[in-house]
Formats: sequence, structure tokens, C-alpha cells
Amino acid sequence: MKKLLALSLGIALAFAAAAQETFPVNGTSNKNHTTYAFANVKIVVDPETTIENGTMIVKDGMIIAVGAKIMIPKGAVIYDLKGKTIYPGLIDAYTTYGMPEVKKVPAWGPQMESNIKGAYGWNAAVKAETEANKIFTDDSKTADEMRRLGFGAVLTFQKDGIVRGTGAVVSLGDGRENELVIKDKASAMYSFDKGSSSQDYPSSLMGAIALLRQTYLDADWYKKDKSKKEYNISLESFINLQGLPQIFETTDKLNVMRADKIGDEFKVSYIIKGSGNEYQRLDDVKATSCKLIIPLNFPIPYDVEDAYEANNVSLAELKHWEMAPANPLALEKNFIPFAITTADLKDKKDFWKNLRKAISYGLSEKQALRSLTITPAELLNLSDKLGKLQNGMIANFIITSGNLFDEKTVIYENWIQGNPYRISDYNAVDVRGNYDLSYGPNRNTYQLKIEGEPEKLKATIIADTAKAPATVAVSGNSISITFNSKELAGIVRLSGNLNKDPLFMNGKGQLPDGSWITWSATYTSALNADVKKDTAKKQPPTYGQVIYPFCAYGQKADDRDGFDKVVNDFKNRYDAILIKHVTVWTNEAEGILKNQDVYISEGHIVRIADDINASTLAFAKVIDGTGKHLTPGIIDEHSHIALISVNEGTQASSAEVRMGDVINSEDISIYRQLAGGVTCAQLLHGSANPIGGQSAIIKLRWGRSPEQLKFAGADGFIKFALGENVKQSNWGDANVIRFPQSRMGVEQVYYDYFTRAKEYDAKQKLSALSKTGAAFRRDLELEAIAEIMNKKRFITCHSYVQSEVNMLMHVGDSMGFQVNTFTHILEGYKVADKMKARGIGASTFSDWWAYKMEVKDAIPYNAALMASMGIITAINSDDAEMGRRLNQEAAKTIKYGGLSEEEALKTVTLNPAKLLHIDNKVGSIKVGKDADVVLWSDNPLSIYARVEKTIIDGQIYYDNEQDLKLREEMQKERARIIQKMIEEKKNGGATQKPVVRKQKLFGCDSMQEDYLETQ
Amino acid sequence: MKKLLFIITLFIATISEAQTKSILIMNATAHLGNGTVIQNSLIGIKDGKISLVADATTAKIDKAAYDEVIDATGKHVYPGMIAPNSTLGLTEIDAVRATNDFREVGSSLPNVRSLIAYNTDSKIIPTVRSNGVLMAQITPRGGIVSGTSSIVMLDGWNWEDAAYKIDDGIHVNWPRIQSRKYLDEDNIYPGPYEKNKEYSRQVNELKKLIGDAKAYNETETKEEKNLRFEAMKGIFTGAQTLFIHVNNVKEIIEAVSFVKSNSIPKVSLVGGRESWMVAELLKENNISVVVARVHDLPDRPEDDVDQPYKLPALLQKAGVLFCLNNEQGEMEAANTRNLPFMAGTAAAYGLTKEEALMAVTLNTAKILGIDKTVGSIEVGKDATIFISSGDALDMKSNNVEQAFVKGISIDLNNDQKALYEKYKKKYGLK
Repeated sequence: MKKLLALSLGIALAFAAAAQETFPVNGTSNKNHTTYAFANVKIVVDPETTIENGTMIVKDGMIIAVGAKIMIPKGAVIYDLKGKTIYPGLIDAYTTYGMPEVKKVPAWGPQMESNIKGAYGWNAAVKAETEANKIFTDDSKTADEMRRLGFGAVLTFQKDGIVRGTGAVVSLGDGRENELVIKDKASAMYSFDKGSSSQDYPSSLMGAIALLRQTYLDADWYKKDKSKKEYNISLESFINLQGLPQIFETTDKLNVMRADKIGDEFKVSYIIKGSGNEYQRLDDVKATSCKLIIPLNFPIPYDVEDAYEANNVSLAELKHWEMAPANPLALEKNFIPFAITTADLKDKKDFWKNLRKAISYGLSEKQALRSLTITPAELLNLSDKLGKLQNGMIANFIITSGNLFDEKTVIYENWIQGNPYRISDYNAVDVRGNYDLSYGPNRNTYQLKIEGEPEKLKATIIADTAKAPATVAVSGNSISITFNSKELAGIVRLSGNLNKDPLFMNGKGQLPDGSWITWSATYTSALNADVKKDTAKKQPPTYGQVIYPFCAYGQKADDRDGFDKVVNDFKNRYDAILIKHVTVWTNEAEGILKNQDVYISEGHIVRIADDINASTLAFAKVIDGTGKHLTPGIIDEHSHIALISVNEGTQASSAEVRMGDVINSEDISIYRQLAGGVTCAQLLHGSANPIGGQSAIIKLRWGRSPEQLKFAGADGFIKFALGENVKQSNWGDANVIRFPQSRMGVEQVYYDYFTRAKEYDAKQKLSALSKTGAAFRRDLELEAIAEIMNKKRFITCHSYVQSEVNMLMHVGDSMGFQVNTFTHILEGYKVADKMKARGIGASTFSDWWAYKMEVKDAIPYNAALMASMGIITAINSDDAEMGRRLNQEAAKTIKYGGLSEEEALKTVTLNPAKLLHIDNKVGSIKVGKDADVVLWSDNPLSIYARVEKTIIDGQIYYDNEQDLKLREEMQKERARIIQKMIEEKKNGGATQKPVVRKQKLFGCDSMQEDYLETQ
Repeated sequence: MKKLLFIITLFIATISEAQTKSILIMNATAHLGNGTVIQNSLIGIKDGKISLVADATTAKIDKAAYDEVIDATGKHVYPGMIAPNSTLGLTEIDAVRATNDFREVGSSLPNVRSLIAYNTDSKIIPTVRSNGVLMAQITPRGGIVSGTSSIVMLDGWNWEDAAYKIDDGIHVNWPRIQSRKYLDEDNIYPGPYEKNKEYSRQVNELKKLIGDAKAYNETETKEEKNLRFEAMKGIFTGAQTLFIHVNNVKEIIEAVSFVKSNSIPKVSLVGGRESWMVAELLKENNISVVVARVHDLPDRPEDDVDQPYKLPALLQKAGVLFCLNNEQGEMEAANTRNLPFMAGTAAAYGLTKEEALMAVTLNTAKILGIDKTVGSIEVGKDATIFISSGDALDMKSNNVEQAFVKGISIDLNNDQKALYEKYKKKYGLK
């Protein structure tokens, strides 16, 4: 064994001796190959392996031996570290250490093109060419800060853009960059944030996603294209990124799933930089199988003492404050691999405080260490160099006074690449304790108590019952004590020597009158107050449960505590429901049926009959519908709720963007609309451009994740828009650059895009048949438009005046497509015959008008008139407020134009179902259809009607009685957390002022620009 | 007494004496607007005033005494609804700047008067009165003191003869503790809420303005004439109402304590979304509330889902005098025609139907200080009433067949109906 060790030492020596460098030396060279031995020390090799009393040998920046019985080579500098512990140096896999500052210069007015000069790609947010290793410079101030926390190596990258190029792993030592770079191309970096790019596109989250998607396709084409007519640095670089670990930054739990979805499309497994709220949708995060890098940015308490102001702190904020420290625990319990980063901390000094808080919530120390050593090393493919204390690894390690995770523990030294960085002196004498102090001419004895942190000592002089504070300063082996003596009426200053073993101090001092005296202090006992405190503290904190969604009116998934089992399976859901004696608005040939029983099971309507015997149906919830009305769920054909962003209006066409990418399952509007009987909605892109984005059709399954909200199997739709919004008439004088600016231009946009899409489609079909295998560039924008002509995607077109409506119908006639639905269509009554002839549907407002020039001729009789002409006519909301009383809006078609009550109800149920091609599943109460129904207190078209229950897929998603319970629970939960917050404030915690957030927008600031009114 | 009379003649402007017929409306369900319903009623109109309100099952009546007899069997009669805090006639098309006359430059403009900009020929007005809204308080917007409102009848050749009560109130927008800036110059993209750092400065400025105006109006000899101060005279005497547009509870508390300390006799809050939280305080101080748009969203995700719907019922229960309005910014003038349905929604969420009706008729008249002459169907009051074939608070049955302003039957046609008829004809529809 000894022999083997000697042999390996020899090899290491030989290798080290061969190291050479290029830099000339000014003066005499200073080659240093000292061997360092750290002996008699507890060595934590990795989270699983600890050597209680071992030795570690370091030479030339590398660990060359670690073990319990290691022979120390001759001529080694030996550090006897008895009582101390060595840990691997910590690794932070997400920093911008040593990167130049990113400056954003906002564009003045619209900027359609990239302003980066050179042979780069078209969009300035794709910065694939950035290489952190080339722009990294040593930053000793930040390095020092990180070293004090115990870090030895970090991944660093330029935090700018959607594609951010490569990250580099660098050492936190001081010195020449040439020696600090450990791995030059360690990772590829991505985000949804366009960063410093002042180019308009993308202005929204869905635009960012579309851009990334298209970049993958472009790179693929670029790689295969042999002609290389286009030289593109950005794409070349993007291709080169692909072999590296792919790290994607997210700013919210829902973005984890969004990133993963892109990864699935392009067969990339991202490492996700999380935001700290992953516990809020843990099962979805787990299902991604992504590895995470998570921050410890726990929020500080809000100032909630003023009861009125406290109302402005949302339930989500209160609960997140309480639960954020449990995020690492939740991940650990669910076996989701994660690294921990210092990123996102406002003050890096909070790192240990917060990590210890996470541990107090239950995170294991082993996992914490793993997340700071082995896991980041693995994520960056550096397991052979960093993260453990093993032979052949880089000599990054820290020397501590004991268990790294203990509050009392001090990090003495942080060794990086074999060089020591002293943080505090481990030879320093710990002077804390109780002493007998005697001084002065009479050598009276007093009690001296020294306590506090080694760096910040506090002392007290006690004479009988009188106490006087004293200042104590220790430097090496000398000590000084200063205090105000009442007895002597002035300041006494004592200086002297420290004797370590046994603890004893003595020396000389000066009294207030200037006379010199001698003094001494003898250690009598250790401090004992702290012991009590420690045992009292061990109680792990308690906290509430996760609710789905994580906001007001969210519900617990089940009654379990903590994060042991995550199955998002909601309670209070029923397999079967029987509604008795209810008036049923069938929307079928049967019309309105009185006193019926409706049986719902496994998500479908199973039976409608005069009398269904409840006792024959096991497990059915029975609802008495006497005097009540049951209608199909309301379908809002035109909605913008439950979205992170609405418009990608930076170009005349944004056909490539998908609303399905940006569904926001945590939007309170979902719940509010359920309370208005809405079960289904088409989430449309805004109307900022002639060709908008692809719609998402959802069911309002409150609590479920974005993917679970989607209406399975629904046809694809796309938003088009005409008129004032697309020609930017009301956007102010700066917006006169983007084409089109008139209705004339709008027509040409369509002809141009459809012509190009037609050609594209032909080429694509040809390419599929071709045997040459020539590279074909997939263009997601043209593909979406080609789908329209191939009848695979359907148009919902925002429209107002007759001229433009007529125009688009003609474009359709000549290009071979048909508009599916004209939405808004306030002058539809003027061209109803033309629409009818083409079988085009209409989705309109009941009575909106006079808000802009193009709605001057809008009339509330429009819907009834179009319906009378045989056009499938729906009433929509386009408004989160009106969306929750669409039954009232439907009823206006009775007042204005005299539709029958049945026809009126159809404008918000069966007709929109038809327009969305989902009438085979929803829109009427018919055996076999989805059980999406609403129970009303009254005739649903009456203003006095209230929703009692909203049922989707046979499950109750809104219940007016449950609603009252939720309010009560919410109030209790808020009160509980507020009490806790005030307690924390009293204990000296910092607080932040509450600010109302009416609409919570996820994603980065740049995403807020697209919060656009859309009528 | 003489003095009082003088004030009345000053504020109730003379309206051209049109020839009015005497009319008898028989057998309708009369909703008097004061909480009373007469299932089978007799309502007489003479000289523009209501001359008879009786139960047809008990009262004897001489039909021949009337120029016209209307059989309204199965129909409903209501007092004309009143839209307080309205920009009707001050705007035509929201997005077209040239049509907007409700906002002036500057932050303290009590002397700016809405009445003279009120366009009786606005195309919006006929669409509003055809749903039963027959009067409105025309109100300027913007700034801290937006200006002076006036009350008009929604029928008239020009503002002069539409005027009902001239310069009835001064409108103040209480500064906001939290403010929300728009991210663009056209106020399309709202940014996040931020604490208003200017709040205390703005409040102090407002307090100083009103304090100075009070002192000015109490001074016998004015050194120099100040039009702004003069315009506010009425709020100190009680001749005008001070309308404070305010929603946040803390702002409400501060506003109430301020008007109290300045002993302003007639005060009403406009908006008052959080007024229910301090209902006792409002009741004690006799402060009424012109309730924010009922068809609106709650402020915070945590708020009760039906919070705006049930706010009227909360105030009713607390005994605070309130009425409904339609202020909403965009489309507020055009949407005034939905005022009856806001009352309907309030009835669905806690008010009785008659209480809901009061919230758009008699309560409004009380708050606007015109309840002596309008707001309910009572003998001696103006015959500003309408007949609907069904429940007027419910959109599925609201169908105004006839309406009278001061006893004169008004035209219920509008451009929208005309376009409807035109295209029905085109398509050969009945």
C-alpha cells in the first residue's frame, strides 16, 4: 500500500515538473513546488465519505493524496489541523463573476432590425457567439466575497440574451486569468429574456420562445446546407453550443415547464436555473426530469402591521415568504437533483443565513453539501476535477472550525488551486468565557465575561450586581480590554498577553488618573447561556400547504403535510354527479326540458331522464336542482385571460408565436370566470398585427397546470386582425414606421404572406419527396400560414368595418382559403349576405361601440341580425370583466333584435363551440358529450341569475358554497402568516412595504410592454 | 326665505315652456322609485308634473279629464333613471381626440364648467335614454380638482334648455397612495402599481387650495378676484356638493377627516370601492357614495369574487346613502345605457329590486340635491318617467316604449335603430 502511494506521488511530481508557461518574467523567476500536508484533520471527502483523522497532501495546485494513513513526504510544509475540518471547495454553477457589465440602450421608436454590425444573425437577442472565457477578467473584490462564503470555483457567463453563448468555469483565486480558467467552454446558456437587445422582436414571452424554436431549426438547416450561401456567425456558434451542458434560466416555476417543452422538441435536456418557487408545482417540475440550479432568494417579511395596507400583500406573497425556505427540501424529498447557487441574492452575505434556514426547514446537510460540490461539478462535466477531495483533483478546499452547516462554525481558510486565502486566523485564541479579573492597586476581583462572535467580541465587567460593558480586542497573542469604571470615575485601559493553554491573560494598564497598574484574568468557566438556546432552536418550522394554483382561491391537492408525496390529485372531486329536478337548456332539438334528472359520470353526460334513482348509482353526488337551471358551460370565443403575454406585435406577421406556450394557470381570472359559468375559452393573440399568433383553446380547469388546461384534440386556430390596431392608428405619433399604416397596406400584407406561404408549401412538399436530401429550412411562420391553406389551421379575424371584411374575404377567395370566424365584426350586419354565402361565422360584442372611429357604426342589433341571416353567431368578451357575465351579454340579443331565449343562450354556448370546431364535445347537454355544465339559480339569461356550480369534465370547479369556505380559509391562512411575520419583525427582521399588484406578470420586465388592450 | 328662493331660481334654469298634454297612464305596475310598487296603478301627468299616483283597483278616475290615456296593462312604469358622474355629451369617440371635451390642462380647475361643452346632439345620448336613463350629471375628468358639473335632462335643443341644475358640484380626485403609470404616451399600457411618492405633497396642495378658497370666500373685500376660489364658493355654503372621487380606504378616511375639519356641508364620495370598510364613519358624517361601476373586477385576487356586485348591498345594509354610476374610463359614455343593468346586478347580489331601482333614481336625486323635483313618481314632481314592456333592470326584458321628460314624450329612436331598420330592409328581414 505504501509503495503504491509513493508511486502515485512520483507520477504527480513528474507531471507537475513538466508544467510550463508562456509569460516572460521580470526579475528573478520564482518557481515554487512546495508540498503541503494537512494533518490530524477531519476530512469530508464528499457528502458520503468522511475521514475522522486524516491527512491530505497538496502540490502544484492539485491534491495528490488523501487518506487516514498517509506518509507525509520529506520537505513538506505541515499544517497540524487538530480539531478542524476540511471540506471540498464550494462550486457555484450560476454566476456572472468577472463579466463586463451589460448595458441596455433603449431604442427611440420602433427598431425592426438588429443593430449589431457584422456577419451575425438577424436577431440581436440570439447572442450564441458570446464566449465567457474570452471576456472574463479577474475581479478580486467579488472573488473575495465569494471566497469568504467558501466557494472556490464558479461557472460564469454573460447574462444577456435569449441565447447567451458559452459559460466558463473559473477559479476564484487571484492572479492572471490564464491560470484562473478551469474550463473554457463549460456550458451553453439560454433564457427567455432578450436582455440588452433593443430590437423590437421579440417583445413577448411567446415571441422569445418562437425565436428560440426557429433558431434551432435554422441551425439545423445551416449545418446541413452545403451551398452555404449565407455565412452566419450566430448560427455557426449556435451549432457549436450543442455538445455542451445546456443551462436555461427561468424566472418562474411555469417557465421550467416551458423550457423543458422546447427541449423536448429539439431533443435537448436542459439544466434549469430555477427561481426558487419550484415547490409550487413540484410534480410538474419533477415530470420534466430536468436537473436544477436553485437560488436561496427567500423573501423578507412584508410590513403588515397596518391592517389596511396588509390587504395589499397577496396570499401568494404571504405563503411564498413562509414556504420559500422549504423549496430545497421539497426538491430533495422528491429526488430532483439540484445544485445551489448564490445567484439572485440581493446580498451575498445572506447565503449562509438562508442555507441554514433551508436546513432548519429539513434540508439534509448531506444534500446541501452535495448541491454545493458534487452536483454542480457533475452538471458542468467536471467531476474529475472539482467537488471532492480526492487524489488528482484541483486543490480547492476549505478549512473550518467544525461542521460547515453549523451556525457557530468559522471558515478559517479557503484554498484555491493550492493557494491559501485566509478568512480568519485558526491560531487565534478563542477567548470567549468567564474570567476572574483583578486589577488596580488593591487587586480587587471582578467577574469578566467575554462573548459574541470571534470577530466581534463583547465583554461585561461585573462587580457584585453592577455591570459595565467593556470592549475587547484580540490580535494574535495580545489582548486589550477597555471599560468605564464607576468606582474610579473614568476609563480603565488594560493591555496584556494571552496564554492559550490554560487560558490566562495578564499585563499592564492605565487608570483614569494615568497611573500604571498590573492586571490578570483567569479563565473560570465556559459560557453556558448558548447551550439552552441551541436546544430550543431545534424545532423545525411549521408552514402551510401548497395550494393549486399558488394564489388566492387555490386549493390544497390533498391533506398531506410537507412534500413527501407529490401527486396533484385534487380532493372534493367526484366520479359521478346526479342533478335532480332541474330545468335543462339542452341546445338540442329537445329545447328546454323541465324537471329533469341529469346524470354525469367519468367526465361525460350519461343520462337525461325524468327520474333517475339515485340509490342505484354508487358514489354519485346528488344535487337538488329544483327551481334551478342547467345549461351547457359558457364558451368565450375571444378571451385573453390566463396568458403571460398577449401581443407579439413587433412585425406585421407573428404567425409563428403560440399562445399555448404562454398559458398562465395561476391567473385569478380563471376562477372569476368559472364563477360566471365559463368553462371554455379561446385564448387569442392580440390585434396588433395583420397576422397574429396561434390560439390556445382551454378548459378552465382551475388548479391544473398550463398543459392540463388545454382542450385536447382541438383544431389549430390563428388570430388575424384588420383596421385601426394593425395600422397603429391609436399608438401615437412615434409608431408610423411598421408596415402597414393603412387599410390598403393590410391587403398587401396578406397577399404577400399567402403567396410566400404557398411557394414555401410547394417547396416543402417537393423537398419531402426529393432524394437528394438537400437541406430545407423550415420556417415556422410560413408553415403556420400554409396550414391555413391546407385547412389545418383556421382564422379568427379581428375586424370592424365592411370594407376590410370584404377585402379579406376576397383575398381568401383568390388564395384558396376561407376565414373561419370574423371576431368583433361590428359591421357584420352590413356584409352578412357575403359572409353567409361563404359560410363564415361571427363572434361579436353585444353592445360595445364609440371607443374608436371604426366602431362608429356598431349597432347592438348586429348579433341578432347576423343570426337571422343564418350566420353562426357568438357573443364574446375580449375582456376579463365582461367574460364573467357573458350570460347577460347574450341576453341583450333578446332586447336588441329579438332572438328567442334559446337562440340567445346559444350565442355563448353552442355557437362558439361550432366556431371553434368543438361542438362534437361541448356546447350542448347531450348524452355522450363532455360534462361541461353550469347550474344557475334562475333563468340564465336573467340579470338576477347567479352561478351555483360550474362543472367541467364532470368535476366541480366552482361551487358557490365552497367559495365561501375558501374565503374563510384564505382569511385564516393570511391571519396566521401575518401573525408570524409581525413576530419576525419584532425579532429584528427587515421588512418590505406592501404594494398592490393587480395583475401579476411573470417573466422579465420586457414582457410587460405587451400588456395591450385588444378591442 | 327670499334668499332660498333666489338660489333656486339661480340653479333651476328656465326651460322653454313647451306645450304639454295631460296624460293618464293606466294599469301599469308602477315602481315609484321610493321603494313602493303599485301593481295596478294610475299615474296622471299635468303641466309637466305628476298630478296623480293612485291604485287603480281602489281609485275612481275621470279619463275624460286627460288629453291622452295610455293603457299600460302588463307594463311597468319607472321614474327616469339618472346617471351621475357622466361624460355623456362631452365625448363622442374615445380614441378620437377631437371629440373629447372632458379634460382640461392643469390640476386645479374648479372653475372649468362641463355644462357649456355638453353636446345635446351627441349620437350617444339617444342610445342611452332609449334604455330609460333620462337625466345625467355631466362631469369633467382629470387633475386633482377636475371642475364643476351640471345636471341635465337627456332631451333638449341645446345645453341651455337641457340644463336642470347648473353647477351643482365640484369634483375632486383625491390623490392616490399608490399610483400606476402608463408605459406609453397614449395611456394604453398600464405599468405596475407603485407607491405614490407625491401623495402627501398632493394632499397638502389640495387641502391648501380648499382652505384658501374658504378664506377667500369669507373675506368681505377681495383684493384681487380669483376665479378658481369663486367657483368653489358653493361648497362652503351648501349650495354645491363636493364630490370626492376616492376608492382606497385610507384615502377615504383622510378625505372624511379633511371635509369634517373644514365643515363642508354636502359631501359625496365617488367610487368608494372600499367605502364599505368605513361605512359607520360615512354614516356618522352624513356622507353619501356614488358607487363605482358595479360591472367591474375586484381589486385584488383575494377579494370576494362578487365584491363590486355586492358593494351596493353592503352600503344599503350599513345605512349609507348611495347611488350607482358608470365611470370606467374607456367607453364610459356609451356604456351609460347599461346603468339599469348595473342596478339589476346589484339586485342579484343583495339589494331588493326596488332598492336597486332607488339606487339609480331617488337615491341619485338625493345625492345630487334634486330629489325635491325628480327621482320618484310622486305627486308634484316632474313627470320624467318611462314605460317599459318588461322589468327594466333586466336586459332581457328592458324595452322602453315611451319616455317623458317633464311630461313631454321624447323620441326614442336613435341612429343604431335606423341602421338596423335599413339593413333589415336590405335583407328583406321582418
